[in-house]
Amino acid sequence: MKKSTIFSILCIVLFIPATLYLGTTLPGRWYYLTSTLIIIETMIPFFLVFESRKPQARELVTIAVMAAIAAVSRMAFAFIPHFKPITAIIMITGMAFGAQAGFLTGTIAAFASNFAFGQGPWTPWQMMAYGMGGFLAGLVFYRRKLTKNPLHNAIIRAVFGFFCIMVGVGPLLDASTIFTTGSVISWSFVGSILLSGLPVNLTHGVACFLTLLLFSNPLLDKLDRIKTKYGMMEAGNRGI
Amino acid sequence: MLKQDAFSRYHPAVNFLFFLCAIAFGVVIQHPAYMLAGCLGAALYYVLLKGAKGLKALLGMLPVAVVLTCINPLFNTGGSHVLFTLFGRPYTLEALFYGMIIAGMFLVMMLWFGCYNQVLTSDKFTSLFGNLIPSLSLLLVMVLRLIPNFMRKTKQIIGARNCIGKGVNDQNTRKEKINDGMTILSALTDWALEGSVVTADSMRARGYGTAKRSSFQLYTMTMADWVLFTLIAGLSACVVFAGGTSAAFTPELEISPISWGFFAYCILLLIPTALQIKEAITWHILRSKI
Repeated sequence: MKKSTIFSILCIVLFIPATLYLGTTLPGRWYYLTSTLIIIETMIPFFLVFESRKPQARELVTIAVMAAIAAVSRMAFAFIPHFKPITAIIMITGMAFGAQAGFLTGTIAAFASNFAFGQGPWTPWQMMAYGMGGFLAGLVFYRRKLTKNPLHNAIIRAVFGFFCIMVGVGPLLDASTIFTTGSVISWSFVGSILLSGLPVNLTHGVACFLTLLLFSNPLLDKLDRIKTKYGMMEAGNRGI
Repeated sequence: MLKQDAFSRYHPAVNFLFFLCAIAFGVVIQHPAYMLAGCLGAALYYVLLKGAKGLKALLGMLPVAVVLTCINPLFNTGGSHVLFTLFGRPYTLEALFYGMIIAGMFLVMMLWFGCYNQVLTSDKFTSLFGNLIPSLSLLLVMVLRLIPNFMRKTKQIIGARNCIGKGVNDQNTRKEKINDGMTILSALTDWALEGSVVTADSMRARGYGTAKRSSFQLYTMTMADWVLFTLIAGLSACVVFAGGTSAAFTPELEISPISWGFFAYCILLLIPTALQIKEAITWHILRSKI
């Protein structure tokens, strides 16, 4: 077995339970530190797999370009307040290049854009949330033939994106607020934080829905064209 | 005046260790004395780093802290001293204290992260982790370079569209604005992806992947760095092993007496501020000699 595989398994079966155990038994308020450590420990295997694979130049550059586009995509919509297509771009990357590329694009886009907007206690959570969005989109849609009608395909993707944000990405972003500001984690507290985050998540979800609806077909076509033209992201075994 | 403060000029590993310890202790230890020390230490360095702007930001955080304090008893109803009842739920003194601690944690975290953003810039981060995660840090460096590049290109595309009368302004409908944004994004993606192929081929032609990547190291650990590194690690160990940090608020106030670990914590927090003051004094003396 490779060293990275062993470490990844170790991470999941040993480090995460150990963190949970220590977090609940030691004196002090461990909510934030425990939860954030678990988030980081969950991300480590993904990173290790990428690192040990020794990615080729074309793969590396494509992920970098998609992450940078996701980070600046907000600028193209400067005229519409709160319209952030960043998650949609990450999801499209996952759909075109697979779950792993989607995850990396999401985490790197979140981390890099925070150098401009400011790192904070929310950074690991944002990385995980956006990475998860790309990962799920890749898992569901990568190399999968949908219907023959492109409009139907776009609608399916858009609905998926909306629910992904409302159920997964949005609550994960709110979770960092729950763990930083809660003294007791009770249902009423969690419920009220999620409720107060609902308008933001709704705008986020609608933006993602619209972007996927209008943009997923043309952008996926473009990415497919690049893939076939230059043999990108499939060239690992040929050493390109 | 120098662009960086005294603490920022130390090795990134020293900076990183300091923030790691300061933030971890800040969010874990609930003891009121530690919390107060953390708030003051962080605020002092924050204002020193950011000047008048920092003071303004600090004042802006205070209302949030007050709100955090006041809403905690609404959800946490434990405690024996009931102040009044709200919506049939007791609003207790202990929970209010606990709320203050939560607000303090929030302040400590925001302030230390504010300092972190100023001290540990992206180049320091990548130089620190470049050897540990070479592919990922290369990826990060590329993204950090591409973001401003793409922003410039986006501005150019918007400008070009304005020139041919296709730009949007506030009079346009929402649908037109969204369509315009999509077109800009589409053009940017096309240009960027074609460019990425050129970059990748160029990297390959220069031998990317044929050997282990070496990275340019701007920072080396000097004797002073090692001393400060050991000091931070030693003080943190003192805080951990001295104990006396436990405090419980609900159902009853139980705050352990402070131990000598508290003084270690104070010294730890004052390191960056002290370095800066020491430098200011040296500078003053040197100038007065002229």
